[in-house]
Amino acid sequence: MVRYLARRVSQMLLTLLIITTATFFLLSAIPGDPLTEKVAKLPPNIKAEMYKKYGYDRPIVERYFKLMKGIVTRGDFGESVVYPGQTMQSIIKDKLPVSARLGIQQAVVGVTLGLLLGIIAAVKRGSWADHLIVTLSMVLISTPTLVCALLVQKYFAGSYFPIIGWPKGEQLWFGGWKYTILPTLSGCLGYIASYSRLMKTSMLDSVNQDYILTARAKGLSERKIIFRHVLRNSFIPIVTILPLTIAFVITGSFFIERVYSIPGIGLYFIGAVTGRDVPIIMGETVLLTILYLAVIFFTDVLYTLVDPRIRIVGTNR
Amino acid sequence: MIIHESMLRKVDSVAQQSDQLVREPISYWQDAWRRLRRNPVAMASLVVLFLILCFALFGPMIRGADYITIAAKYKNTKPNGTFWFGTDSLGRDLFSRVAIGTRISVSVALVASFIQIVVGSVYGGVMAYFGGVVDEIMMRIIEVLNSIPSLIITILIMILLGNGMIPLLIALCIASWTGTARMIRGQVMQLRESEYVLAAQTLGASHARVIGKHLLPNTLGLLILNASTSIPAVIFDETVLSFLGIGIQPPKFSLGTLISLGQDMMSFYPYQLLFPAGILCLMVLAFNLFGEGLRDALDPKLRK
Repeated sequence: MVRYLARRVSQMLLTLLIITTATFFLLSAIPGDPLTEKVAKLPPNIKAEMYKKYGYDRPIVERYFKLMKGIVTRGDFGESVVYPGQTMQSIIKDKLPVSARLGIQQAVVGVTLGLLLGIIAAVKRGSWADHLIVTLSMVLISTPTLVCALLVQKYFAGSYFPIIGWPKGEQLWFGGWKYTILPTLSGCLGYIASYSRLMKTSMLDSVNQDYILTARAKGLSERKIIFRHVLRNSFIPIVTILPLTIAFVITGSFFIERVYSIPGIGLYFIGAVTGRDVPIIMGETVLLTILYLAVIFFTDVLYTLVDPRIRIVGTNR
Repeated sequence: MIIHESMLRKVDSVAQQSDQLVREPISYWQDAWRRLRRNPVAMASLVVLFLILCFALFGPMIRGADYITIAAKYKNTKPNGTFWFGTDSLGRDLFSRVAIGTRISVSVALVASFIQIVVGSVYGGVMAYFGGVVDEIMMRIIEVLNSIPSLIITILIMILLGNGMIPLLIALCIASWTGTARMIRGQVMQLRESEYVLAAQTLGASHARVIGKHLLPNTLGLLILNASTSIPAVIFDETVLSFLGIGIQPPKFSLGTLISLGQDMMSFYPYQLLFPAGILCLMVLAFNLFGEGLRDALDPKLRK
């Protein structure tokens, strides 16, 4: 196990290095640099001063090593070009909790409701409830989250649910619920749809297994069969799909944040992209990749713990 | 035990021919098509898709209205006899605009899915064919690409290449071909080990024949299924990017651009949002339902 973990962690670090390097050179390849627009109307000596301040007067390779040194030693990606004084540290402190709360709320509500509906659809197979859930999830899956968000905003927003604003300060994690309900609702509909479908298929799969037949033959009650055997085993595929959800939560909230003007990392990233704010684009890409890698890693480990049939082998996965 | 003559009976000539083919043998594709045709939901979605395609192709001609020039006197007209979907905030006919937007969204989706599948299957095929170190290195590249959220890859590529149709296509493809490559790799590796490929090789079939006769036809079903899931996914991605202001930008427009414009007007003129959003949802729903029918038809293993 320790060897496996060590190998995975070193692989992740290597991936991260590759991605950071690739992003840096990709962004450097954009015609013009981030300051071009900003200094266009300034006198030449101030222009040179600005270039010196952000280090864009140095050759690209030197900038690369300086940046990498900064990232590794202090987690420093440099100062924002568009908003002076903003660094990745301040963004992680101010914006990340906002996005994290939105994402967690969406995933918790969406996955729980989705699983519940899926279980109902599988247990009451063929009933009106099943048909309703299946139809509903098909419609929801075909509705882009973006459209859901816009429609929810249009038809539910009012005095109870303000459309602009997000809890700050004391209420950053708890409280200020009325601001978070609509964005959470818009975001979780997609998860409800996909998880109910997944759960239903997974449960119907495990119902047909031999051990269920054995359990029935032994005379177990239907309730016990479902709770003890079917449910437990149908959660395994759900665990494998969870990283995709978390990954989606990370980037999927981009447009929810845009629609509801929520000051999270997604909205800031879009702003950085349109403003060509290279240090911030760079920092956010690395940040999101770290989150993403960590989530995938965590799930792989979780998966081996949940399903005893999967053994960690020293060689290829 | 003694066998008496009474226990035996003569087989008549009809039963002797039991191994003869009574009906015409039908191919995999004929069988799939037969099963697909019996699926009412899939056929209904096919009809809907056909109608949407007609709308996208001929919509602007039906109305013949001006969807480019700004006409202040028709600003924000509600849907009526002249303007079936109303007009937008600049007085342009929304019916024609939605048709053109659909056309662009669908063409982006079709082209991007096609490129993605071609690139993915060539890459996956090479991985499976060469194996060993080549496979290992190519797999690492896929893993690196997979560890960045795909939206971020797309956005980074768009920053580098600028806004527009071609950069959008490239960006969408780079972010999405890895799944296809992995799938094809798995399928080809499995097929390579199968008995009938071994039999063909033993009988002296050339590489070209094995690839053309066995590998390609057996992956074709998977590729079609892949396309049926990737097309709606690309439509989603394109919409989101255009909405965020990174994809197709005015004066060119897709459904995403129209939805983004509709959002600005949605409090007073909701129809400007509802028409493009409705067409988008209907189209994706039809694609999904048709894809499901296709999966049932193409994958005999899933048949109940």
